[in-house]
Amino acid sequence: MMFWILIALLTGAAALAVLVPLSRNRNALTENSSSADEAVYRDQLDAIEGELKRGLINEEAAEAARTEVARRLLAAHDKYHERSENRFDSRRLKAAQLISLMLLPAAALGMYLALGSPDEPDLPLTARLSAPAEEQSVDVLVARVERHLADNPEDGQGWAVIAPVYLSLGQPQSSARAYANAIRILGARPDWLTDLGEALTMVNQGLVTADAQSAFEQAVSMDATAVKPRFFLAIALGQEGKKAEAIDAWNSLLAGADETAAWVVAARQELAALENPDAIASQSRGPTQDDIAASQEMDADDRQAMISGMVTGLAEKLSTEGGPVEDWNRLMRSYMVLGEKQKAEDAFADASTAYADKPAELSQIKDAASKLGLPGF
Amino acid sequence: MIVEFGHYALVLAFAMTLVQSVVPLWGALTKDERLMAVAAPVSVVMFLLVLMSFVVLTISYLNSDFSVLNVLENSHSAKPLLYKFTGVWGNHEGSMLLWVLILVFFGALVGAFGGNLPSDLKATTLAVQGWVSAGFILFLLATSNPFNRVVNPPLEGADLNPILQDIGLAIHPPLLYIGYVGFSITFSFAVAALILGRIDAAWARWVRPWTLLAWCFLTLGIAMGSYWAYYELGWGGWWFWDPVENASFMPWLAGTALLHSAIVMEKREALKVWTVLLAIFTFSLSLLGTFLVRSGVLTSVHAFATDPARGVFILTLLCLFVGGSLALYAWRAPMLKQGGIFAPISREGGLVLNNLFLTAATAAVFVGTLYPLALDVVTGEKISVGAPFFNLTFGPLMVPLLIAVPFGPVLSWKRGDLLAAAQRLYAAMGLALLLTLFTFWLWGMEKVLAPLGVGLAVWVMAGAVSEIVTRVKFFEIGPKRGFARLVGLPGSAWGTALAHFGVGVTVLGIVTASAFQEERIETMRPGDTVDLAGYQVTFDGAAPRRGPNFTEEVGHFTIRQGGVHVADLDPSKRVYTARQMPTTEAGIHTIGFSQLYLSMGEGRGDGAVDVRVYFKPLITLIWIGCVIMSLGALFSMADRRLRVGAPKPAAKRKTASLAAAE
Amino acid sequence: MTRKQRRLTLIGSAGAVLAVALGLILFALNDQIVFFQSPTDITQSTMPAGQRIRLGGLVEENSVVRSDNAQVSFRVTDMANTVAVTYTGILPDLFREGQGVVTEGIIGPDGVFMADSVLAKHDENYMPKEVAEALKDQGHWQGGEETANQ
Repeated sequence: MMFWILIALLTGAAALAVLVPLSRNRNALTENSSSADEAVYRDQLDAIEGELKRGLINEEAAEAARTEVARRLLAAHDKYHERSENRFDSRRLKAAQLISLMLLPAAALGMYLALGSPDEPDLPLTARLSAPAEEQSVDVLVARVERHLADNPEDGQGWAVIAPVYLSLGQPQSSARAYANAIRILGARPDWLTDLGEALTMVNQGLVTADAQSAFEQAVSMDATAVKPRFFLAIALGQEGKKAEAIDAWNSLLAGADETAAWVVAARQELAALENPDAIASQSRGPTQDDIAASQEMDADDRQAMISGMVTGLAEKLSTEGGPVEDWNRLMRSYMVLGEKQKAEDAFADASTAYADKPAELSQIKDAASKLGLPGF
Repeated sequence: MIVEFGHYALVLAFAMTLVQSVVPLWGALTKDERLMAVAAPVSVVMFLLVLMSFVVLTISYLNSDFSVLNVLENSHSAKPLLYKFTGVWGNHEGSMLLWVLILVFFGALVGAFGGNLPSDLKATTLAVQGWVSAGFILFLLATSNPFNRVVNPPLEGADLNPILQDIGLAIHPPLLYIGYVGFSITFSFAVAALILGRIDAAWARWVRPWTLLAWCFLTLGIAMGSYWAYYELGWGGWWFWDPVENASFMPWLAGTALLHSAIVMEKREALKVWTVLLAIFTFSLSLLGTFLVRSGVLTSVHAFATDPARGVFILTLLCLFVGGSLALYAWRAPMLKQGGIFAPISREGGLVLNNLFLTAATAAVFVGTLYPLALDVVTGEKISVGAPFFNLTFGPLMVPLLIAVPFGPVLSWKRGDLLAAAQRLYAAMGLALLLTLFTFWLWGMEKVLAPLGVGLAVWVMAGAVSEIVTRVKFFEIGPKRGFARLVGLPGSAWGTALAHFGVGVTVLGIVTASAFQEERIETMRPGDTVDLAGYQVTFDGAAPRRGPNFTEEVGHFTIRQGGVHVADLDPSKRVYTARQMPTTEAGIHTIGFSQLYLSMGEGRGDGAVDVRVYFKPLITLIWIGCVIMSLGALFSMADRRLRVGAPKPAAKRKTASLAAAE
Repeated sequence: MTRKQRRLTLIGSAGAVLAVALGLILFALNDQIVFFQSPTDITQSTMPAGQRIRLGGLVEENSVVRSDNAQVSFRVTDMANTVAVTYTGILPDLFREGQGVVTEGIIGPDGVFMADSVLAKHDENYMPKEVAEALKDQGHWQGGEETANQ
């Protein structure tokens, strides 16, 4: 509405520029217009006198020039009186007024409605990036975190937040880079190492490369019972053609596994393929391909849910059941990374209440909050 | 909302041009002062509206509002602030908006400061300016709308062409456009004069400040563009006879001719028919230039857009304006009365000579620029008309003109005395001869033309100085009174002298930089040294570096003269990340008026690079001369008699002079 | 001098200057223009040695050889025929293998094109206009019309 009012005002102002001169007093106008030609020639005569006085031209040349200019001056004088009778005609005036009152707004509005998109809002980049997270598409959220990370490349938690998102968006390369950064800054964690390996594997269309393999191995060395890294290591052995070792690996992985788990089906298929290569030769290679396909089939809503789910899930858990100090810190950090300062402050307040009677933990929380630059510190 | 507001302002400006095209002209033809009075306020409002939309587009760039298609296609959020700003006109749509802004700006100037103009001439001139504005705003809205929107825009834009990410871009197009488009107002004056049948000495006086203003900016714009190409493209050339350069050079040549013929018209009321035709031609060449650059018929670094719809639209406008004005001219010109008469040897004769050569030179450039296009269209045969063609045609035409330049201002009006004029130029001739011989002695006989060129340049410069000095009889009346008289000289006399002196300076720069340039191309490894023009250039090695939106390989070179350290130069090869586009950044060191110019080729892997080293003697004079020329134009504009404001009525002397005339 | 004589002098001098200008233009057009040729044009026609031409085409992949003193040699192809080119100097920023190039120079007696300038001016498609059209003639251009400024 505001827009239309402004447009109406602008059009009105423009129309006034036409209407005001049209309605001016006719006498004022005729008096104003003196003969401009005569002024020029009189000025030229002055200039001739000036040059003569300064000795730049001689008397003879000055006289010749003077005669010539005077002749022009006379002609202009006559012409002026001949043309200076003003003619006013009220019908003409009415027509001109009508043109400016009707044609101007009609042409402008008609054309604008054909060309413009009055309903499109402005979308300055900073405003788009700082709008509340719930209203944003995944792309915007990712861009926001990227922007934050470009300014704070040493924020390991930030990298850890964005890494799985990249993976679900089908950007394993970026995901691998983000996991690598998180590990470099915050130290190795088995789940990150596993995810890093998975991302690297996806970059190579399901081929477990040496980089990925070493990431999985490191993860297993930190947590010998982890299923996922061992799963990929088994695939790697199969891909290298070390058939016997691969079969051993699958068997040890499947031993004691919960038969209802989804990965078990895939593992059994792999194992069967190794033991019976001819029977299932046509089977597509490696379950990781399927994994990728599955994650890529997630539709936009799922991705949206995944992002907000990541944070809100944590928030919910902490508010209902409480949790360790690290989780509270992680929540605050996540909010900060997403640019939601208010929620981060709320989380800090909640955490402070939860640990009000435990000074050691409380100081840890305060430490984290001050590092995040929450107000009050 | 702001964006749409800017869009609406542009549309409303178009509607205003329709009113402007009709109402004041109607008033002028029916002698209705009230309708004529509409012209001035409407011209100002039109300018404000277009300014509003320009500001809105600028804001969208600064805010990286990618919902505007134009911003999305030509900007990037990581781009440095300055280039977000200048990027507004670094693309087709934005630069056309700037074009239109300047077009209506000149209309507003005439509307606001044209108080000394007769009301019918003012109204008709602004109406004609309104036609041109209507045509080009419609062009913007219909084919190149900068306010097209994108629903759900991406979060990052495509970035600006890296070649254009330079401070040169910030200054070059606005200057060039003020010049180019400024000639629209002389065009409008000419068409208005033809419509009203008032083509006389007074008309020439009213038009002259506008011509000077446009010419001044066009000179600066061309010089700036030349210097920009010189240091940004890394080829060490400063003029390529590229069609885009010619597109701005042709209006300059025609505009220069117009400036001179308008003097004759103003003083003697002669050459009326010719001056009006030149005014039409000058702007027609500006329009032609716009067509060549904006339609994409050329392929060159400047042509950032290709779209046939645009080409056809501009071509239609071009035919409409040029054809229409020429038809009007053919109808009206024969009715003009013969002006003042003059002998062939006279100031007027000199100015006619100037016009002849400048027009012939314009024609040569015109043929060289358009012949390949015409041949391609007609026969499909592809040819290139390069520097040799222009050197062979343009050069010889300039030589007699330059020889004649010092004679012009010392000849008297109506009937001149060549011998007396030559006597006043003896000193200048002597100096020119002396320097020619000196150059011969310095360089020997191997380059015969170069010393002659130096002599010619000195002749033009010394001629300008001696004209001023002999005019006030400086040596006859003694320095004290001489200085007083020099200060008392009218601004237009100083303007003439400065502009002519500037021409000499530019010619000197061109001759020395082309004839005595030294060049070495070497493959250099770290530690290698190249000797050039008495300087030792040592390559110390290259290292990578990161910029805000590019990465570069920077070479480090040390310049020594006889073992003494002179300067360090860091030329580089850049790659702009968003478009993966490489550019060369030259390293330039200025020594006096001369420059040492270094550019690097691609690295060879083993630390060696191909390096091109130039020594360009007195090259900066080329651009300094242009600045002096523009200063001359400013001096002329500041002349009391040419000032835009109304001259004071001298009521008493009026009767006296009228009596004297009778 | 009578008025008529003055007028004749004026018209005479104008005519003289314009005649000189026209002569210069015609002479220069006859002598100084350079024809654009594709490698196929060169192989098929027998051109007088020393004739200055512009050669345009694609820089053949893996054909660029750099030697010392900033010498470089490469081959220009239009997919049907190929011409070897030598050049001394710094190649323009946009010179790349597999992309369009225009070189100007003369054909040596050994059939090698000695270029004294190499241009890689082009539109957004990395293709000089002349080269694109020459390639279209040869039926090797699929760039199509998606040129509008992306």
